Amino acid sequence: MEQRLRQEARTLLEQGKVDWIIGFEPGSLKFTTTPLITKDKSDVQRLVINPFIVNNLAKFLIEIKGRVGIVAKGCDSRSIVSLIQDNKVIREDVVILAVPCTGVIDLSKVERLMGKDRDELDDITREGDKVIVKVDGEKREFPAPEALFDHCLACEFPTPQEYDILLGEPSSPIANPVAKEKIEKLKQMTPEQRWGFWKDELSRCIRCYACRNVCPACFCQRCFVEETEPQWALPVPRWQDNLIFQIVRNIHVAGRCTDCGECERACPAHIPLRSLTREMYDIVDELFHFKSGMDKEALPLMTHYEQEEAEDLFR
Amino acid sequence: MTTTDISPSRFLAQGNVYLPHIVVIEKIIEETPGVRTLHFNFKDEKLRKEFTFQSGQFAQYSVFGIGEAPFCISSSPTRHDHLEFAVQRVGRVTNALHRLGVGAELGFRGPYGNSFPLDFLQGKNLVFVGGGIGLAPLRSLIWNVIDNRDRYEKIDIVYGARTPADLCFKYDLEAWGKDKTVKFVTTVDRGEASWTGKVGVVPKILEEAAPSAKNAVAIVCGPPIMIRFTFPVLEKLGFTPEQMLTTLEKRMKCGIGKCGRCNIGNIYVCRDGPVFSYAQIKSFVSSEY
Amino acid sequence: MSNKKVSKKDITKLLSQWSQQFTVLVPSKESGVAEMAEWDGKDTSFLDWYRNTVVPPKASFLPPMEEMFHFQKDKEGYRIELPPNEHKQLIFSIRPCDARALAIIDANFKDLYQDPYYLSKRKSAVLVGLGCTNPSQSCFCTSLGISPAESTDVDLMLTDIGDQFLVEEITDKGKELIAKTSGLKEATKDDETKAKEAKEAASQRITRKINTEGIIDKLLASFDDKDYWEKIAAKCISCGVCTLLCPTCYCFDINDELVRQEGTRFRSLDSCSFPVYTKMPMENPRQEKWRRVRQKVCHKFGFFPMSFNVIACTGCGRCIRLCPVNWDITQTLASLPVKAEVGK
Repeated sequence: MEQRLRQEARTLLEQGKVDWIIGFEPGSLKFTTTPLITKDKSDVQRLVINPFIVNNLAKFLIEIKGRVGIVAKGCDSRSIVSLIQDNKVIREDVVILAVPCTGVIDLSKVERLMGKDRDELDDITREGDKVIVKVDGEKREFPAPEALFDHCLACEFPTPQEYDILLGEPSSPIANPVAKEKIEKLKQMTPEQRWGFWKDELSRCIRCYACRNVCPACFCQRCFVEETEPQWALPVPRWQDNLIFQIVRNIHVAGRCTDCGECERACPAHIPLRSLTREMYDIVDELFHFKSGMDKEALPLMTHYEQEEAEDLFR
Repeated sequence: MTTTDISPSRFLAQGNVYLPHIVVIEKIIEETPGVRTLHFNFKDEKLRKEFTFQSGQFAQYSVFGIGEAPFCISSSPTRHDHLEFAVQRVGRVTNALHRLGVGAELGFRGPYGNSFPLDFLQGKNLVFVGGGIGLAPLRSLIWNVIDNRDRYEKIDIVYGARTPADLCFKYDLEAWGKDKTVKFVTTVDRGEASWTGKVGVVPKILEEAAPSAKNAVAIVCGPPIMIRFTFPVLEKLGFTPEQMLTTLEKRMKCGIGKCGRCNIGNIYVCRDGPVFSYAQIKSFVSSEY
Repeated sequence: MSNKKVSKKDITKLLSQWSQQFTVLVPSKESGVAEMAEWDGKDTSFLDWYRNTVVPPKASFLPPMEEMFHFQKDKEGYRIELPPNEHKQLIFSIRPCDARALAIIDANFKDLYQDPYYLSKRKSAVLVGLGCTNPSQSCFCTSLGISPAESTDVDLMLTDIGDQFLVEEITDKGKELIAKTSGLKEATKDDETKAKEAKEAASQRITRKINTEGIIDKLLASFDDKDYWEKIAAKCISCGVCTLLCPTCYCFDINDELVRQEGTRFRSLDSCSFPVYTKMPMENPRQEKWRRVRQKVCHKFGFFPMSFNVIACTGCGRCIRLCPVNWDITQTLASLPVKAEVGK
């Protein structure tokens, strides 16, 4: 897939079909990748596809002006479609280089399985339905679902449904029940317990806004949390203000969130944000029979409603 | 070149550099629909007598519970029965300031920043160029100079606003118009039926007035766009960058060079400014400040 | 004067003694994120997992959120009250990079005006350093003149020599503390040798390097190179992870809250990466992302050293490790245009 990607990207630039290529290149730390955003065709040699391509590159479409050839996994391509629905991206301006995704490796899970920090591991590879970790000459194997991100386990459309160039054979959903364990646990709690849970979790939020800034569904020029007239939440990392931020953000991205899991992955304080976003995603599906980012002709969910919906909603 | 009279230990409340003193609003003048001047005084008797500052310095004013914002002290240090500042309604704190009445209490931290270099200005011809609310820091200096008239040579004042209704400190304009030792012209960008004065943007009127650059210093305060067009006019008239002074504005929070945000390169506008010469500005890390 | 040593098994006894006079802070994951937190009186399992915390120890001196004062309105007007004095802190096992970071940002809080909140905490605190044995791939302290295993910025310095720690007294404060502490033995020559070896080994393990020679001039020369900085800033998403979790970043915000007739003025950490950081009603000098990225790099490696003669970075590597897009400052510094047009 990598060779094909580099070829396609180079061709797109050479033929002037795009101004930019956005993809992944090896990161500066072991087992990482980093976004590659370039106009230069000699840079495409650095493009990679591996089990660590974690970012949702659709985010960069909001800012970049011009036509873009963009690498997208299943979740990313849905984010692109969601942006098209919101008129933030013109379909003709993107060439979607689709990666049929088999899941992204969660380094925290690997660290927990190995009882070692990532710095001490020699190699992590994905082979079929196994993740293989090499350390000090020894090899350990794990069933892939144990080492992949929860959101990959819950992913319904790992192969992009909207694309221009499909870079490999389509992949199937993993559909592992572990994916929603945390959310199910929360659903079992009483409202008081849930409130206590989130109060606890959000006490360590530092308001870095990594969750918001990695999210392609968040494209406001000025976020509500930065407003001073009126001041919805203080820019102070108290659990009260942090909670307001998360609750409102989740409502704002309802219908746009594709459960790419980047918010939870990016959070430096390990707050289980996906337990909010995925539940919102499921609620949206349940109430409105709407899955984000599937149909580029569809209107964004929260900007319109049909008469029939009112029957269900307003009981 | 700019005088820096910073004595950090002066006027600290409870020895804490972030604690405001309580001041009380004594009078409010609605200058224009969006600008008001507040006359205030310290609640503490001792402070009322002892407080001093220099023209060009600013203070951080608190509306408790809403926030703090920096404004220059617009009264002259030569007239100390009360202090003044002018505020334009643009955001959260300024809107709150516009809702207050006489008798309301504010927090006051200051004076901060450097000041207009009186030593440098002494014995020189002074050309004051002001726009809109930019007259606020200037008027402190103008009255300071007028109150010590024999220390300075000629005084030229060019002041303008967008419309007659936007002219601030109309009582000052009247006084300066009547002062025989001052050459004064007011202008507006757009006139109206009742306006009999000049019409034209400040830089243009300045060019018409053509004050001599010989032994002169120009002090320019106003909206950034006015300043950007005024400097070239002054240069054309023969002013060197050292002969042009201005005040810069940045978003500020601490006002004392600690919170980091008002920096241009390694200088802080709140501590090394707000008064700068054009020569200094040209030496900043970047041409865009 | 010989050094002391303490057995790892005796750490609980050591910390218990110190808890009598200080609030002892140790590395902890209890809250869900690795940070320095109040010792619970018994758990020393951090000795097994601790490399470095996510939240730097600066949070104990410049907290993410701090109450500056309370104000209350009664019929006589406003009254302002300072918060009560806090208990003295002892930070156990702070790393040399983080300890140096505190010494670096001291300069900002002492400059011209004394910041009472930060400085009072610094004055009353005791820092017990712990040398690194296993630096991370993201660490680059040695390039900034900092050793991962030695520190003069702490009061006591511990070195891991197997099942003991060598204890070195660095300051008078450290000396006084040891004089009142029981359970320490004299270190033998063998212990000293082991410590020396451990320190050298730790320094050898730092693989990431940067070249800071002439960095200020290089940055100033590249300052107006918009194309360069746009390229560098392209993948940055303008969140605050790097700056809020950087031990040498100190930018803060001040906000008020009012509930009926009383309220609080808060200080909270802020970031120059945020667009609103420099926003004014009519204009924003750093609206564009590349200007903010440029500001961050140039402040840490240019403007701060211009004012205080020390680079505002200690190579702790948190920014590289935690950045959601793996933006790497060491790559930026290595790629500064060599032949750049001098600005203006």
